[in-house]
Amino acid sequence: MSATTGAEAEACAGASATEAEAIADGSVVLIGVRHHSPACGRLVAEAIASLRPAYVLVEGPADMNERLPELLLGHRLPIAVFSHYRDESRTATSWTPLCDYSPEWIALRDGRAAGAEVRFIDLPAWHPAFAERAGRNSNRYADAEARYAEATRRLCAHFAVDSVDALWDGLFEAAEPSGLAARLEAYFDLVRGDAAADPGDRAREEYMASWIRAARARAGGRPVLVVTGGFHRPALRSALGQEQEHGQEGDGPADWPQVPGPPDGALAGSFLVPYTFRQLDAFSGYQSGMPSPGYYQLLWEKGDPQAAAEGLLRAVTRRLRDRRVPVSTADLIAARGLARGLAQMRGHHSETRVDVLDGLAGALISDDLDSPLPWSAGGGLRAGSHPVVVEMVAACSGDAEGLLHPDTPMPPLVHDVAARLAGLGLADPGQAAAPVALDLTAAPDLARSRFLHRLRVLGIPGFTRVSGPADSADPVFAERWEPGSTSGREAALVEAGVYGARLDEAASVALGERLHAAGTDVGPLAELLFDTVLCGVGALSEELLRGLADQVAHVPEVAPLGEVLASALGLWRHDRVFGVALDGLLGLVVDGAVQRVFWLAEGVHGGPGVDRGRLRALAAARDALLHAPGLLSLTRQDAAAAAARISRDLRAPADLRGAAFGLRWALDAATGGSVATGGTAATADAEAPADDPAAAVRALTSSAPDTLGDWLAGLFALAREEVARGTAAGGGSLVDVVDGVVSAMADDDFLTGLPALRQAFAFFPPRERERIAERLLERRGIQASARSLLRTTADPLLLARAADLEENVARTLDRYGLGAQR
Amino acid sequence: MSAPATAVAGTGGEQPQRPPAEVSHAAELAALRAADSDPRPPGWQLSLRAARRFIVGDEKAGITRKFVGNSALVERSLVTLATNRGLMLVGEPGTAKSLLSELIAAAVSGTSALTVQGGAATTEDQIKYSWNYALLVSEGPSPRSLVPAPMLRGMSEGRIVRFEEITRCPLEVQDCLLSLLSDRVIAIPELDGPQGMVFARQGFNVIATANTRDRGVNEMSAALKRRFNFETVFPIADFDTELALVEAEATALLRRSGVEPPPQRDVLEVLVGTFRELRAAAGQAQGERMSTVMSTAEAVSVAHAVGVRGWFLRGEPGNAADVVASLAGTAAKDSPEDLARLRRFLEQEVPRRAGRQWKALHEARHLLAD
Repeated sequence: MSATTGAEAEACAGASATEAEAIADGSVVLIGVRHHSPACGRLVAEAIASLRPAYVLVEGPADMNERLPELLLGHRLPIAVFSHYRDESRTATSWTPLCDYSPEWIALRDGRAAGAEVRFIDLPAWHPAFAERAGRNSNRYADAEARYAEATRRLCAHFAVDSVDALWDGLFEAAEPSGLAARLEAYFDLVRGDAAADPGDRAREEYMASWIRAARARAGGRPVLVVTGGFHRPALRSALGQEQEHGQEGDGPADWPQVPGPPDGALAGSFLVPYTFRQLDAFSGYQSGMPSPGYYQLLWEKGDPQAAAEGLLRAVTRRLRDRRVPVSTADLIAARGLARGLAQMRGHHSETRVDVLDGLAGALISDDLDSPLPWSAGGGLRAGSHPVVVEMVAACSGDAEGLLHPDTPMPPLVHDVAARLAGLGLADPGQAAAPVALDLTAAPDLARSRFLHRLRVLGIPGFTRVSGPADSADPVFAERWEPGSTSGREAALVEAGVYGARLDEAASVALGERLHAAGTDVGPLAELLFDTVLCGVGALSEELLRGLADQVAHVPEVAPLGEVLASALGLWRHDRVFGVALDGLLGLVVDGAVQRVFWLAEGVHGGPGVDRGRLRALAAARDALLHAPGLLSLTRQDAAAAAARISRDLRAPADLRGAAFGLRWALDAATGGSVATGGTAATADAEAPADDPAAAVRALTSSAPDTLGDWLAGLFALAREEVARGTAAGGGSLVDVVDGVVSAMADDDFLTGLPALRQAFAFFPPRERERIAERLLERRGIQASARSLLRTTADPLLLARAADLEENVARTLDRYGLGAQR
Repeated sequence: MSAPATAVAGTGGEQPQRPPAEVSHAAELAALRAADSDPRPPGWQLSLRAARRFIVGDEKAGITRKFVGNSALVERSLVTLATNRGLMLVGEPGTAKSLLSELIAAAVSGTSALTVQGGAATTEDQIKYSWNYALLVSEGPSPRSLVPAPMLRGMSEGRIVRFEEITRCPLEVQDCLLSLLSDRVIAIPELDGPQGMVFARQGFNVIATANTRDRGVNEMSAALKRRFNFETVFPIADFDTELALVEAEATALLRRSGVEPPPQRDVLEVLVGTFRELRAAAGQAQGERMSTVMSTAEAVSVAHAVGVRGWFLRGEPGNAADVVASLAGTAAKDSPEDLARLRRFLEQEVPRRAGRQWKALHEARHLLAD
């Protein structure tokens, strides 16, 4: 008994302003909360206990109202209400996450337990009011005020803190509980200020107000508790207050407002899905409210910020020690001292999350950092963050995973997959015995393949691909899938339900997550590109491919980038199987990669040797310039100018210089010299005709004869045809010049340069080599068969033995980790 | 020789070229001290909160913002100094590390003059103490013949000592700080009795700065590292803040150089944009790192040069062409690699940007001499 009265007294003391308004407002108590705030959660619990309201109204999708019992089945939190919508013009998915300490969750649970009628009162997630929110995948409980940054920026400046989260913790989470309600109110009044909300927010606020009016009319003087985002509270208060002035109180209709239904022909729905703390955490890059759910869970459980701070310190220490990062007792003493000092200086009642993290960072990190600490800089964890920082953020984030009660209806994805499985004529993997063989050139089989690939990228067990095209250049048109173990299939489907209601949606969201994780790592990016193609490129992959194009523009190495470019371009030009030829989005990837190739190529400096990777990258860029100029924002003139600069840059490696030379030639030949002469670019480089190869070769041999082969390899890799056909200016004479130079070489130089020369001429097929041989004979005035020059006179057995020996040497080198370039 | 360095403040008469922080902000410090009611750590002239306000500013109290950077960094630094660990400020050159250490020392101890400038030739004498040899020879070792260096003075007076560019000192010299920081005592074996041990008074601590370019921070012994808390000072994260700072500083410098027109804002935008772009590229790939530091301080000096060129050569404000010409000399210094990187940026990146000044910058790229 005493506990209840204590809580009541405290609630009254804390919420005195609210109480006073409640009476004036006709018993409507509005609590403005920050989503996922334990302090707000506690406030809501106290208000319910003290008010015993007849109605508890919560900001949440009103179309879930009929299924509220589902929410209270007894799940392990965090879970989320997942909503999806699709019509001809728009696809949207959104999440409404709930965890143990969410004020909304507490309102639902405690309200129901206290015998109140509980209702969600916000517009359904598919409603156009949400359409203006950034991104196709949104979070209802993201901070509304984040969209009105000006006010919070001023507040941060006023309190001299670096982020809203730090400000919030100091003012509310770790502050004295008394007066919390009044402070919250003042805070949100200030944040809302006189900012005009956008039309979406206004529509939602009007709708919520209509529910509150109905509840007030039905309650007949009994209290009504309303829990909404603090940002909406001032608007709701003034909407209700105005009516009172006009004497409308109690006259309003007692019927609940209509829940708008989706327009005809549109598909919409909401389902429960299990959620994780990782997804809740803003640090991992999700759009969300408060960061570090693990810490706030601790704060909620302990109920005392000081205990939570100590728990966080323990969690971080344990995590770091588990990962063998030395954390000495002296370090911990220093960290504690710092945290306490910071809390005191910042005027915190007890240590907050940021105090503890700052203290730990100060004491544990004895290096310079590459990027600012994520909790003070805001934004996500950047690539290359200090390992201690990464572990600290992970410890704050926690690893809780939600679990739905077994009686919860399955998420729509489960039904969607089952329906498609039947629709595509594929047997359930549990019963199927025979492998599935697919001919990708046939439309029905392609649909099946896409379906199976989407399951694959979602990690749903059942079918395993045993053969099929390995990459975009693989000329394989058949695929084979074998049914395998189905254990865990159901659970995996439920889990994947968080990504979307339909398989194609879910797959694209899952791929998007992989893109986020891949960073600028080319291997995963290339794989991702091909997986996207295998799963079917459509409207859904737009964001995905845009993201991919963005990330490609930051890849640090030219050779692997070339691979991505070549495969994207190949698909764009030739693919008839997957239906992505001439796809505009794929074109974005090509464009991004070409720009990046030139950027990187101009920066490569180095010594001798032929790097085929970078030659291939330039060749791919050439192909893009020649065959897909419409895709590129880089003009041929600009490309030619860049190539000219590279070819003259003495610090660039010889092969690259040759390749750039060849690129310029190839561009010249393709446009009939228009690049060289008719270009509009004002650069002197692009207007000048391609340099004379003879001069280049002579210059090269006089300075570094051993790089001639490298240079030629680059040239031939890019402009072999032009050289062989002798179409470009001076093309015919090139062979003569090289012949002259090589004949004049000293024996030593010749031997040094020979392997590279051989490698260079290997770019020519036998027929063209024969033509070169003919020309050489002609130059010497000899009548003989050119072909005989290309034939070796050595004993084939001897050659075989030599090859064998070479292979042996290579293998031995490999064994000792001395693997030579092959 | 033993005259206190703080005498600079009292001499009056001629204005020093650059007065130390405690002199140029004397009024603010006095006001803060008078209004300061928060608890002060022993030996401190200001409370932690007042010291923070002195550095990050407080509009209402008329305190200007002196350090543009995140305030959590300032808070952590101050709290560190109130503990028994030293403060190590690390970061790229030109990120205002020295300014920050000067401000902190001025706020905490009332003087920023106890400074050891680290370098290859720094010896233990310059850190702890040396002797007036004439007196030493005539009177033998005595407190009178002792010439205290900044560390000894800081310890006996209970003040903050600044150690600039600590990683440029040889390891063995750095290590003389070890006992000093952990035991907080300097032994002077030449003196007998109690005078032979100088114990640190409350208020003594060390702020060291090290830049991540000249020589890695790795060249510090683990033992010494352990006695410091590290704080990394970053370049200014926000474009507008950096632009405003460059504009303010460059305008002041130009006025002092007798240049009448203030710098054009759109030209500065292009300049700061270029600096930020080249700095950002450094973070991405190893090969792209500029060896020159593209710091805000450097941007200010380029903006200064741009204004001077424009005014004294043509009688007008500096334009984009001046930016290119000045970048070649100041930003690319003597590194051909950096010059190539700069050229590549002008050739390939700049044309993709919209705006009249960016276009002008691209067109002026030939001014980047080979």
